[in-house]
Amino acid sequence: MNHRRSTEPHVTRRFSLSRMRRTPLSRAMVRATTAVGAVVGLGSCATNAAQDTWQPKGPNAKMIDDLQQPIFAVAGIIGIIVFAAVSYAIWRFKDRGQPIPEQTHGKPALEITLTVIPALILAVVGVFTFRVIFDLAKTDDTELVINVTGQQWWWEYDYPAQNEWGITQPIITSGQLVMPVGTKVLLRETSRDVIHSYWIPALNGKRDAVPGRIHTLRLEADEPGIYAGQCTEFCGLSHANMRMEAVALSKEDFATWVANQQAAYQSPAEGTLAKEGESVFLNQCVRCHQVDGLKRPDGSLAIAAPDENVWSGAAPNLTNLMTRNTFAGAMFDLLRDACRDDVWNAESAEFGAKYLAGVDEACLNVNDLRAWLRNAPEVKPMYANPALLADTNGKYRGMPNLGLSESDIDKLVAYLLTLK
Amino acid sequence: MAIIERPAPGTTLVPALAPSAPAITPARTFGALRRPVATTGWKSWLFTVDHKKLGLMYGATALFFFIIGGLEAVLIRLQLAAPEGKVLNADLYNQMFTMHATTMVFLFVMPMAAGFANYFLPLQIGARDVAFPRINAFGFWCLLAGGIVVNLAWFFGGAADGGWFMYAPNSGPVFSPSHGVDFWALGLQIAGIASLTGAINLIVTVLNMRAPGMTLMKMPIFTWMITVVQFLLLFAVPVITVALFLLTFQRSFDAKFFDVAAGADPLLWQHLFWIFGHPEVYILVLPSFGIISEVLPVFSRKPLFGYPFVVFSGAAIGFVGWGVWAHHMFASGLGPVSVAVFSLATMAIAVPTGVKIINWTLTMWGGKLVFTTAMKFAVGLIILFTIGGLSGVTHSVAPSDTQQTDTYYIVAHFHYVLFGGAIFGIFSGFYYWWPKMFGKMLNERLGSWNFWLMVIGMNLTFGPMHILGLQGQPRRMYQWTEARAGEGFFNLGFWNLIASIGSIILTLGVLFFLINIVVTARSKVRAPLDPWNARSLEWMTSNPPKEHNFDSIPHVNHLDEFFHRKYEEDPTTHTMREVATAEQVLAELEKNADAHIHMPSPSYWPIVLAAGMPVVALGVIYSIPVAIVGGLIMLYAIYGWALEPATAPAIDHDESSSNGHNGHAVGASHG
Repeated sequence: MNHRRSTEPHVTRRFSLSRMRRTPLSRAMVRATTAVGAVVGLGSCATNAAQDTWQPKGPNAKMIDDLQQPIFAVAGIIGIIVFAAVSYAIWRFKDRGQPIPEQTHGKPALEITLTVIPALILAVVGVFTFRVIFDLAKTDDTELVINVTGQQWWWEYDYPAQNEWGITQPIITSGQLVMPVGTKVLLRETSRDVIHSYWIPALNGKRDAVPGRIHTLRLEADEPGIYAGQCTEFCGLSHANMRMEAVALSKEDFATWVANQQAAYQSPAEGTLAKEGESVFLNQCVRCHQVDGLKRPDGSLAIAAPDENVWSGAAPNLTNLMTRNTFAGAMFDLLRDACRDDVWNAESAEFGAKYLAGVDEACLNVNDLRAWLRNAPEVKPMYANPALLADTNGKYRGMPNLGLSESDIDKLVAYLLTLK
Repeated sequence: MAIIERPAPGTTLVPALAPSAPAITPARTFGALRRPVATTGWKSWLFTVDHKKLGLMYGATALFFFIIGGLEAVLIRLQLAAPEGKVLNADLYNQMFTMHATTMVFLFVMPMAAGFANYFLPLQIGARDVAFPRINAFGFWCLLAGGIVVNLAWFFGGAADGGWFMYAPNSGPVFSPSHGVDFWALGLQIAGIASLTGAINLIVTVLNMRAPGMTLMKMPIFTWMITVVQFLLLFAVPVITVALFLLTFQRSFDAKFFDVAAGADPLLWQHLFWIFGHPEVYILVLPSFGIISEVLPVFSRKPLFGYPFVVFSGAAIGFVGWGVWAHHMFASGLGPVSVAVFSLATMAIAVPTGVKIINWTLTMWGGKLVFTTAMKFAVGLIILFTIGGLSGVTHSVAPSDTQQTDTYYIVAHFHYVLFGGAIFGIFSGFYYWWPKMFGKMLNERLGSWNFWLMVIGMNLTFGPMHILGLQGQPRRMYQWTEARAGEGFFNLGFWNLIASIGSIILTLGVLFFLINIVVTARSKVRAPLDPWNARSLEWMTSNPPKEHNFDSIPHVNHLDEFFHRKYEEDPTTHTMREVATAEQVLAELEKNADAHIHMPSPSYWPIVLAAGMPVVALGVIYSIPVAIVGGLIMLYAIYGWALEPATAPAIDHDESSSNGHNGHAVGASHG
């Protein structure tokens, strides 16, 4: 370095604000430093963001967090060093009439040092990264398996029979994944149409659900609660609306949930509005939507045939719909805002009971549900327009407009409320 | 061709593009067309093979698409400024973000770099044109045709809507029923021809046409980085070509390459796309690294610190860049061994990238820094690219990446890399080279506005996206919901709004640049010959350079040859003292002007050949007979081209003794 001119005369000016004002770059530096400081400071982030990646709530997410925190710190420090060095050079070597400097072409020793240092830092990072990659890929310690299938634009959960959890017959549900706390859950993911990605940030990173392949993802929650997620592989029109939640229940509460999901179907009492709703359901909805145990008037089991109507070949199983808090791919809440907040913000000790209470008439978010039944493609973009179905041989992608009358909707809502 | 300028001593600084056309009657060549001879007017542009004109045409086209892509970005930010945005519907939003990325990557940054490369690479190595001038022209017309085809879809039922990564099976006919993806795949296929032919052309040019004495390690660093990029293109473009063919056949001819039901694996597309796509990132950013590696030394009055390190780190990036593609797929279920390997390779590539940042900083260290707008953009690049590079390191750590990928954190990262890196470098290049290209200096005051608005706008737009992403907002969502935006004053809604405001400021910054172009064009003030006290060969020409660039080809003894012709080191103080002005250096070159300067001749065939391709594309989409017509046009052009001599026969040549130069008729033997 060629310090050709004396720094003496500038010492006093260095700290003077008026000098700062004169050079736009140093002014910008001050401004930028303040901004960077503000951004880095915790105060500038949202509190309680539902999908915050820096708020791990289970051991898998914590493993990632423990790995990334020091890396962010080191990256921040290196950034500040570069920023300081460039800022200093801008101020120190600005053209103040000094002669053209010696035409030095570099200092190999310095270069090599400055190459080796970052390489060493990265080597250390690499070692820790390796360990976490392999730890997160483990599948031999699984305690509960749940099959997860993505399709446009919702998730299906299929719990294969696992007697130790009281699951004696497969449970099929959608929107919300229910799992016991403190349990190593393994998701086996696939897709029925395009690629989706399953992501519950508080519990683990994301893993793509690819048609024709099965990918695994470990999930484990420390505390009972509800953990938000979102499909993160672009999957078409309603990608933005393809949400999901993982609901962690204490093991006892989970057993209660399992038992309820396997309970026999209860048809509404004769003469009620709900009973009329059941027949609307049998006329319309059952073409795609299964309700386990539902029988036709002739006593035969009603078996949905979504493969005949929907391109992806499936539609959400609505058995026990009202034990869930959301519908339509978790795009809409089944609970009114106040009731929803009551569940979402519940203390972990009280959460299980509140969640298991399900949705009753007082809490039902009847507006969104009715709008959905009235004309689903209007509230959620889907390829349900018959004019666009040439490529799918007339099959829908998403729920079509069924043209239900308001009285049919009254009946259906009453019926759906009985599904819990 | 005609129109060989035969320079003589004393006729200095004649702008090459100035009108000077004597009447010429060309001989009839193969086919119906006579050889074009115009040296002025639109015909001189349409049929030109001059690397400088083509460079400007690349630049103008790229700038046009930059504005289009920018407007698409503004619409995206308007949509996302508030929750449940209603500016665009889901379908239009998906088209918008697909086309924003496609436009910026393929139709702005790549052709802009190609424009700079076309214009300055021959000048920097002391050549009079590229190795294959007609292929060069053909490349430009392919780019333009490709850009038009991709964008035509807007008017034919909607643009592509599968994202620029166009993952299968979402890009298949069932899931994207409009013709947008067809136009996209065929348009990019055509634009890809520009990159591939351009790559071969520039590689041959660099390897064969350097001025005497210019060894590879005396080559200007911009030329070096462009050369690395051409090798990347040479190997990367064929991969995307294959992928796009598979996609087109899947969509138009019922092929099953990505059809799961037929036993295909959709991850095939991802591998093909990213084997192209990751080198592509370096294809986008290395030209800008080259530009600021020219600008920083000029305005630091010092050579580039560690030139060999910058060269070899560039080459290292070029090599390692082939081994990192799967870091785009850490969440796609590769298995832990692959993930670990690609994670490590990605960390490794950070090292040569860091070397560049260190060298730029040390270039400024101990210098005599002059903060012109070009220099401001270059310094801006160092800082902004460092931020992008460091956030890149955080997701080279694969487990962290599974939290970050497909969130706004990634959007923040690559905009710091591509806006802060590639685009800041391009703007630095605009201000630095404008006087060379147009003979006028861009206004520095407007340039200052341009720079500061862009810096502030860019940080306001993309800075908050770090927070948005880390706090869980995924990408590619046409709406975001307050239910997941968190609480407090600085909730995600606040940061979304700030990002949108930032995009408006950014737009204003770009607007200042456009205003600057107009103001500069209308200004009467000519640029001095060497406005920046520059260092490399392209400045040893007039502003703008004559059609044949150099009156005599300089003999190169130094890296920074021009600087060393102007300055010599004082052996005692080691300071540099001026020994010649730029004018004197140029006069010396002109004094020794070559008697025979042989320039390539204009040709109709490149544009005719390129014009056949969109016809083929439309035919593939709508009706095969139309494609056959397009094929016939191409066949006609290929025959015409093949049978046309590279240079026009002697009879076409300008008997330029008529305008007083010491001309000799150029013999046919030179053809």
